[in-house]
Amino acid sequence: MAERRGTVGGPVLTEWFDKPDVHALDVYESLGGYSALRKVVTTMTAQQVIDEVKISGLRGRGGADFPTAMKWSFVPKDHPGPKYIVVNADESEPGSAKDRYLMENSPHMLIEGAAIASYAIGGHQAWIYIRGEYDVPYEMLRDAIAEAHAKGYLGDHPFGTDHALDVRLYRGHGAYICGEETALLESLEGKRAQPRSRPPFPAVKGAWGLPTAVNNVETLSTVPWIIRNGGAEYAKRGTEKAKGTRMVTVSGDVQRPGNFEIEIGVTYRHIIEELAGGALPGRNLKVFWPGGSSAKVLPASMLDTSTDLDGLKALGTMGGSGGIIVMDDSHCVVKAAARLLRFYAFESCGKCTPCRVGGNWAVRTYERILANEGSQLELGILERVSDGLQNGRCLCGLGDAAGWVIESTMRHFRDEYEDHCLKHTCNVGAVLAHA
Amino acid sequence: MPDINLTIDGHKMTVPAGTLIVEAAKTVGIEIPVFCYHHKLDPVGACRLCLVDFSPGPPRPQTACTTPVAEGMVVRTQSAMAVQARADILEFELVNHPLDCPVCDKGGECPLQDFTFRHGYPTSRIDGPRLHFRKPIPLSPNIALDRERCVLCYRCTRYYDEIAWEQELTVGERGVQSFITSQFDQPLQSIFSGNIIDLCPVGALTSRVWRFESRPWDMAHTESVCSKCAVGCNVTMWQRRGQLVRITSRENDDIDEGWICDRGRFDYTDVNDPSRLRTPMIRGARATWADAFAATAAGIKGKGAKLGISLPADLTNEEAYLFRRLLDGPLKGAKVKMHGRTAIPAPAGAGRAPGAIPEKTLRIREIDDARVIVVVASDIENDVPIVDLRVKKAVSKRGAKLIVVHSDGVDLDRDPHTVHIRNEKGSAAAEVRKLASHELLKNPGGPVAILFGDGHGSEDIHELATACGDLAEKVGGKEMPLYRATNERGALELGVAGWDSLDDVTALLSWGPPPTAGIPKSVRFLTAWDHLPRPEYAKAAVLLPATTFAERQGSYTNLEGTVQFLRPPIAANPPLKEAWEALTELGIALGLNLDYAGIFPIQREAAARVRALAALAQAPSPEPQPAPVLVGPAHP
Amino acid sequence: MSALSSHLIEEIKALPARYPQPRSAVMPALDLAQEEVGYLTPEAMTEVATALQLDAGYVEGVATFYTLFHLEPIGKHRFYVCTNLSCTLRGAEDIVEHLRGAIGVKEPGEISKDGLFSYEEVECMGACEYAPMCRVDHRYHYDLTAEKIDQLVTERRHLASTPVQASASHPSPLPDGERGPSKPKRAPRKKTSG
Repeated sequence: MAERRGTVGGPVLTEWFDKPDVHALDVYESLGGYSALRKVVTTMTAQQVIDEVKISGLRGRGGADFPTAMKWSFVPKDHPGPKYIVVNADESEPGSAKDRYLMENSPHMLIEGAAIASYAIGGHQAWIYIRGEYDVPYEMLRDAIAEAHAKGYLGDHPFGTDHALDVRLYRGHGAYICGEETALLESLEGKRAQPRSRPPFPAVKGAWGLPTAVNNVETLSTVPWIIRNGGAEYAKRGTEKAKGTRMVTVSGDVQRPGNFEIEIGVTYRHIIEELAGGALPGRNLKVFWPGGSSAKVLPASMLDTSTDLDGLKALGTMGGSGGIIVMDDSHCVVKAAARLLRFYAFESCGKCTPCRVGGNWAVRTYERILANEGSQLELGILERVSDGLQNGRCLCGLGDAAGWVIESTMRHFRDEYEDHCLKHTCNVGAVLAHA
Repeated sequence: MPDINLTIDGHKMTVPAGTLIVEAAKTVGIEIPVFCYHHKLDPVGACRLCLVDFSPGPPRPQTACTTPVAEGMVVRTQSAMAVQARADILEFELVNHPLDCPVCDKGGECPLQDFTFRHGYPTSRIDGPRLHFRKPIPLSPNIALDRERCVLCYRCTRYYDEIAWEQELTVGERGVQSFITSQFDQPLQSIFSGNIIDLCPVGALTSRVWRFESRPWDMAHTESVCSKCAVGCNVTMWQRRGQLVRITSRENDDIDEGWICDRGRFDYTDVNDPSRLRTPMIRGARATWADAFAATAAGIKGKGAKLGISLPADLTNEEAYLFRRLLDGPLKGAKVKMHGRTAIPAPAGAGRAPGAIPEKTLRIREIDDARVIVVVASDIENDVPIVDLRVKKAVSKRGAKLIVVHSDGVDLDRDPHTVHIRNEKGSAAAEVRKLASHELLKNPGGPVAILFGDGHGSEDIHELATACGDLAEKVGGKEMPLYRATNERGALELGVAGWDSLDDVTALLSWGPPPTAGIPKSVRFLTAWDHLPRPEYAKAAVLLPATTFAERQGSYTNLEGTVQFLRPPIAANPPLKEAWEALTELGIALGLNLDYAGIFPIQREAAARVRALAALAQAPSPEPQPAPVLVGPAHP
Repeated sequence: MSALSSHLIEEIKALPARYPQPRSAVMPALDLAQEEVGYLTPEAMTEVATALQLDAGYVEGVATFYTLFHLEPIGKHRFYVCTNLSCTLRGAEDIVEHLRGAIGVKEPGEISKDGLFSYEEVECMGACEYAPMCRVDHRYHYDLTAEKIDQLVTERRHLASTPVQASASHPSPLPDGERGPSKPKRAPRKKTSG
């Protein structure tokens, strides 16, 4: 955290990441790991946990930005029978790698957070749904859970209490849509991962029809720190409305791509130019996706935009999952958009009409454009498809995201689209072949 | 449930809480188009065609099929936002659709056509090549699948999984490449498969029995009742130029909830068989009806117990009543055997003797509210398929617990929570007696439904009926005897559902198809009333051309005791005679003083004389009222 | 002859009890089947379905939805190369081109003549900061170059010609990916700021 805003702060998630072997239980514990879970199960009520997290102002870091404490409080307290925490570790948003980074560095941090969350909703079981490609994080979590059980931190009597806690793993098998919480739940239930219509919301009818809170890896990994240091301490970081720190992944055309923990409110210029080293030699930044491929693009002229979430919302975009993709002037925006549409069409689950048909229609239109067969007609189709995908037309956010790619790239880079469609040329140079 | 007040397009209305907007709109005749939504399936909000705009609510169109009404809600189906959203969705649906309406069996009754006409853009802006799939694909001998026409509403696969508890129909791949498929391209096996044709809102699933035969507007349809088993599902029969060309389901929530089985749907082509008998024959030569009746009367009269009468499973109440009269008179003492019936006795009057069936048995609809359902000694899926679906609904949608007592596996075992007690054949009664202390029945928490068959003869029905009756009494349950033959219950009420052996009769009146065991060797004189020539009739003295279920008036009493009326889609044109008429004339030839000018006098007489047939006094009009047409909104 | 070994069937039958509802066992069961057979044949899927008391269609529907289930034979070592935006910006297309030459195939899914290799262009695998990257034999490989691809291929060819090790299956006897097998030797720090 090179830049701090407001009051004194420091890293939260990566607080211990400069120590060797934080993934090992003994190291994690020696630094203070599992003291939060111990404190929670031995001295706090579920409501006190929720209140503490509420004070922190923590919001979901999976992209939806929903207040975590509120999500937990929606789970009915008087529901008899099981309730679940489901951890969304299906990180698949193009440009986002921070959950993998957190799990590889400190699997116990996630396990501790998940256990605390289970306690907070009055449940006993957390399920970590982890994408199938994440072999190493899976193995590390598997081993870490076994260690925590062996130590008695999980099990029927964690820290000698009677509130049983368990964390279990479930592996995904390759479907971006599983990042959507209800699709994830379907998948966890052993079905084709197609999002559910809401209501009912997962808090009422979630995994296996039971009350469930679905939280992102980063969100839950933040929770132990909040318990250890207090919600107020966490809330000192960030902006008035968006508290705390968050992870970002910077990738693409920068000198030092990487995962960074930032205080919310720093500018994208700070992240891209200082933390990630800025543009590659001899090139200029052209465009960036501020929060994964699903966030509407911003042109380089808007680098001074703040990471404050409400600010981003005002611009029609979002901080999303924190995946910042940077593209410079050696790459063609139309080709980049075409590539992303191919992604959205391929990952469409096929349940709702606009996403299933619209994404594919856009792909075929982009193919014609890139084969120099475009015309005013193609521009019109893209606009129509983009409209048809957004504004509640689709069952889940995937379709909207596909629409946003088309809409935002067309809005900021209309000239590149017109060059392709009307002049059959590309204004980007020779490096174009790689876009 | 409390009532909710809301407004849809300016219409104020009050509907029960929990009603979905799409259903509330129907009550005032407002059409909200849907593909994926079906009122018998769980709403999924997949096709997005039902987008409407309401407040309070988000500033985006929302699906009317998944949103329940709320107090004070104002719904606008006609706002610019909603109208455009639906038109966009319809345009998306047509991007890859082959638009082969001119050769599509669905054309003319196709929601995709109708909705596009009423809700879509008036001009086409669709460009370029469409996606292609191999087609048509035979899903089974009866069903064809056209994947290019499919709009992936998933009604078919959802029905299969939710309603039928089967998964042999599934979705392969994902995204725009997804397609409906039978498992590993194997033919569908389910007895419930045909309902997917009715469910399909486009021409993707069509009947192969009827493929490319006629356009929907060429057919006349008639509301009737299925004649294949004792459930009595309501059906619509479609005829074109005197041929029965299609049978579809007709929803009656008391009986079938809109589902029929494949026997009821596809088993009809014999009606159109070119070899059908059309004129009476005596010893192989054409004859007049009068001569045929005279010859028959001469052959069967006064034979006493040497006369056998074989009756079909789908004997109507009216025929049964006339047989009753014959058996009380000139044919007294004859042995009677009804096809396909169980050993279960007739419902008795008030008061319960051991082994007797109570007069008021469980209604099919009452299965819905059962907390525990006990199914005993019945291959329920094949015996009474649509009751099987009702049991499944009670379990999976309403949380009933299920106990099966049967010697073999049944399809209800598909629910892993089904408690299946596998008895030795013949010991079902003993197992039922033990059930009173079963965990699930100690405190059932509500009504208990006890459905029992006769184990296809393997169980002592007196024992079993007694045990089921005792159990019902102990746990506060109600019984449903699972009669199998179509009008077994009606024939039992009239005392003609015989169970006699026909082994040494010398004369046989075979009404309907020949006895399942064949014509007894001892028979010297045979009169057969049948619609098809069969090898068994080579030595028949008299052959009478019969009407089929498609040309028949009359009524059936289903297994729960409901009397339902048949409406023939095809007229029994001369020389064919309807069964009641033929029986009346036969009765006269036998010396009975019968004088019925039509079927109504028979029905009124039967209603007056037989308590269980009181419903016959109010036979409905032969022409049903047409269904109201919902008028949809204009183009965007 | 059955497609799956009897002990595997037993293992699959035990899976449903581990979840609140039995259908959750479908994917873990398919995983086991795929590991044993190499890919999911209709026979294998049908046996999984039978063991789980489902119709085969259900299992087919699930298996065809997810990209990590393979319905056709794959090479012994399958390269999953990310070609999503972040990797493409940093040369993933060249990497794919080079890989094709290195393993001697023309298109995704094609198996090399020696049966050792195939590749697939996949969507984002969540390691964008190390673009371009790929996954092979359950491990990620980062900051790919033509030389790194050659090295990955050569190592595997070498292994195949060494009989004893060649029979070993997952966990891979190969040198670990960039992040160790179950525990990294050292947590990655260089990418952290602050």
